[in-house]
Amino acid sequence: MTEDTDTTEARADGGGTGIVPPDDETPTWSERKARKQGLARTTYEYFERARREDQQLRQESDYVERDVLGFPAWPHETIRNLALTSFFVGAIVFLSATLPPHIDAPANSGVTPPTILPDWYLYWSFGLLKLGPLNPDLALLGGQKLMADRTFGVLANLVVVGAIAIVPFLNKGSARRPVEQPFWASVGVFGVILSITLAVLSVKNLFPMDSHLTFDLTFLVPFVGAFITYAVLKSMREGYMFELNRRYYRLRPPK
Amino acid sequence: MSLERKDDHDHEAWMEEREFTRLETAYLTVLMWLDKRLRIVDYLEILENLYYKVNMQMPKSHTEQYGLDNKFWYWYPLYALGSFSTLAYIVAAISGALLGFYYSPGATGASGNPTMAYESITFIMTEVNFGFMLRSIHRWSAQVMVAAVFLHMLRVYFTGAYKEPRELNWLIGIVLISLTLLFGYTGYLLPWDQLAFWAGQIGVEMALSIPLIGEWAAQLIFGGFTPNPATLQRMYILHVFFLPFIVTTLIAVHIAIVWMQGIAEPH
Repeated sequence: MTEDTDTTEARADGGGTGIVPPDDETPTWSERKARKQGLARTTYEYFERARREDQQLRQESDYVERDVLGFPAWPHETIRNLALTSFFVGAIVFLSATLPPHIDAPANSGVTPPTILPDWYLYWSFGLLKLGPLNPDLALLGGQKLMADRTFGVLANLVVVGAIAIVPFLNKGSARRPVEQPFWASVGVFGVILSITLAVLSVKNLFPMDSHLTFDLTFLVPFVGAFITYAVLKSMREGYMFELNRRYYRLRPPK
Repeated sequence: MSLERKDDHDHEAWMEEREFTRLETAYLTVLMWLDKRLRIVDYLEILENLYYKVNMQMPKSHTEQYGLDNKFWYWYPLYALGSFSTLAYIVAAISGALLGFYYSPGATGASGNPTMAYESITFIMTEVNFGFMLRSIHRWSAQVMVAAVFLHMLRVYFTGAYKEPRELNWLIGIVLISLTLLFGYTGYLLPWDQLAFWAGQIGVEMALSIPLIGEWAAQLIFGGFTPNPATLQRMYILHVFFLPFIVTTLIAVHIAIVWMQGIAEPH
């Protein structure tokens, strides 16, 4: 052990700073590192670095002692959570008591029902299966379609899920609120409206509107919504950022 | 005083000496019995260590740092949607387990005649005490869960909570929302009524439309190229065995990551 080093400075190798004191035999990360080679050693070296970074962050002024400032779990948080939980479960029970489900006629492969629809939360996906008119037919193949309409519809589902998945890898930075990033907010509104219009498209047989018009509107309305959102947020942005910056600079006046 | 040697590890002597209440004695006896065999004290220490390391010190959140708590209060109710979907999942799990006592996934028989699955549902709805209510609760908690999950995703999107350190949880969330929809789909196939049969038909068509492996996928998931008794059996096993394990595990991981990374506060 290196006791001769400055003892007032907290150690950051897993030996000294733990809140629960390690017993004498627990090796510190430096000691463990000394016994290792290769990848394991690199890992411990990284742990040491991370620990040091953590230590520096803790010593910075914007860290708080949560144990002192925290809101007590019992009874405050617990009772609030119990109240919310019972209210929510009660709402489910109320719904089930007032709007009970029904059951169709038994399954019959000989009789196709006039309307076949999934549950409401799959309407958007069902709408995507009806995108046949968008499936490009290639002149190169003599007007043949590269894939069947139904394959195209299933592929559209995967494309939507993939597009949602890559959002965090495209949109970086610390902006959070919609006013701070009008473009991404309008992308979000586009998605929300598209899911609704696709749901309408999936029930187009029941919808009192020309089916071609419905199809066109399915893709037009989301763009309109997105443009409006963009315009509104863009014009709101200046005022919002002004307020936010004024607050910020009052707290931290520029040097 | 006995002649037996009393050392630091003579816990029984220590208990006699301390004169615990009956409750304390019972608790300590159980704890010692378990600890002697499993050394749970070590694990308790690890948990305690973890707890303090997570909770003792955290950076000030953006709202704390700039005193914004009173400015963005209207975001806070939306932060309950994740808990609400978990709660609805628990309600659905409990009511589903109870329904499982009465439901049997048999679909053999001439088409048009009520099958065993259909008849067990009508039995639940007409004969079982509170059976109709039970089915209603199961169905509504599923609907509410799906709605809460969708709204939760929107909240996360519009408050930018998916951003940098939280990409992994966003991806897990997408898997979870897809599995929730699959849960719903497999669930509404189980009554084996007309809706179930024709929804199954659409599912089979979707599986068949996958290039190259379509027929194999239809066989694997639906057990045939049209909805048949094997389809119902498979949907049942997916609904009550595979999905519950996978979804519960993923929810635990999802929440654990939220716990480790902290809640993304509005700002």
